[in-house]
Amino acid sequence: MGKIFDWIDRRFNLKVVHKRFLKRSLPEKITYFHCLGGAAFTSYLCLIVTGLLLSIYYVPSELEAYDSIVKIQHEVRFGKVIRSVHNWSATLFIVFIILHTLRVFIHKAYAPPRQLNWLVGTLAMLLAFASGFTGYLLPWDQKAFWATEVGTSMASTIPAIGKYIMYFIRGGLDVTGVTLIRFYSMHVLWIPFFMMMALWVHFHMVRRLGIKRNL
Amino acid sequence: MDRRIFLKKIIKTFFFSVGIITSSLSVLFIYPSNISRRKTVFFDILAEDELPRKGVKRVDFTYKHKEKDVQTGFYIVADKGSILGLSPVCSHLGCLVKYNNHEKAFICPCHGGKYDIRGQVTDGPPPKPLTELPLKIADGRVYVGIKV
Repeated sequence: MGKIFDWIDRRFNLKVVHKRFLKRSLPEKITYFHCLGGAAFTSYLCLIVTGLLLSIYYVPSELEAYDSIVKIQHEVRFGKVIRSVHNWSATLFIVFIILHTLRVFIHKAYAPPRQLNWLVGTLAMLLAFASGFTGYLLPWDQKAFWATEVGTSMASTIPAIGKYIMYFIRGGLDVTGVTLIRFYSMHVLWIPFFMMMALWVHFHMVRRLGIKRNL
Repeated sequence: MDRRIFLKKIIKTFFFSVGIITSSLSVLFIYPSNISRRKTVFFDILAEDELPRKGVKRVDFTYKHKEKDVQTGFYIVADKGSILGLSPVCSHLGCLVKYNNHEKAFICPCHGGKYDIRGQVTDGPPPKPLTELPLKIADGRVYVGIKV
């Protein structure tokens, strides 16, 4: 195995790049609180893997969405487990992001020169919320429908333009099958794509700027 | 101006405008195109003698809109000698309110908005009263105006 990898690496130099990222100097006092970002990323990886699997069976259509979820729950092998892992990883993802944000805030790790990384991190957090919100509609049951009805109605409380933002999100006047499809598209294509870009930038800035020394 | 700088500027402007145009076209692409104003349509729902004498009656019915069956419902309230139709859509964030006979109030299950029997807000976050639906009585039938 090692020989094959070395042969590939002689051509692409993958090792050096990753060593540069993984073998870097860290501050002396590093605690488990510094792992929260990594924990969030681990849940993100779980979400990607389980999400890819779920998308094999899920049907994003008004008439079939709920039935496909029932099928995943009861007929598909390990379907229940995969869906549960996706559900719990999503919850933990949000929890870890918030804890990580708190850690950064308490350590004042947002201070210069790390301002931009704070902003990118915030963007990733907003994307995570958006992903949670759009994913919540996909089971297409009563809870999903009303949560989206309420959530999108909140946009309409913005003065003047709120109504149009709501139509933009819903894809029409009401929450319908059109909404389901655009939420699906956001959930599986748009948000993961922008999330990956945001995280790529986030991690590279961490490497460049290093971890802030404790107070 | 130097020829090289001039060309660079031209190319920058070109790609910048392509970026602007594609992103604005994308927003227009995503924005729903079939948003039309809702029109009030009257539906024949029940006979005049089925109207409540006193209190609240929930009426559920189905109508066809763009070849799809739409389920809907509303409340008929008979109070102090007058009859009014009330939409069950909470004015706060759009959940459906339920009439609680014990409290004589419409209660929203989502955030606890409360309306009295005439649809006026008594408690909770709703900013406006429940929408009153126009009722028409003709030839012993009751018609209700619903925006579709």
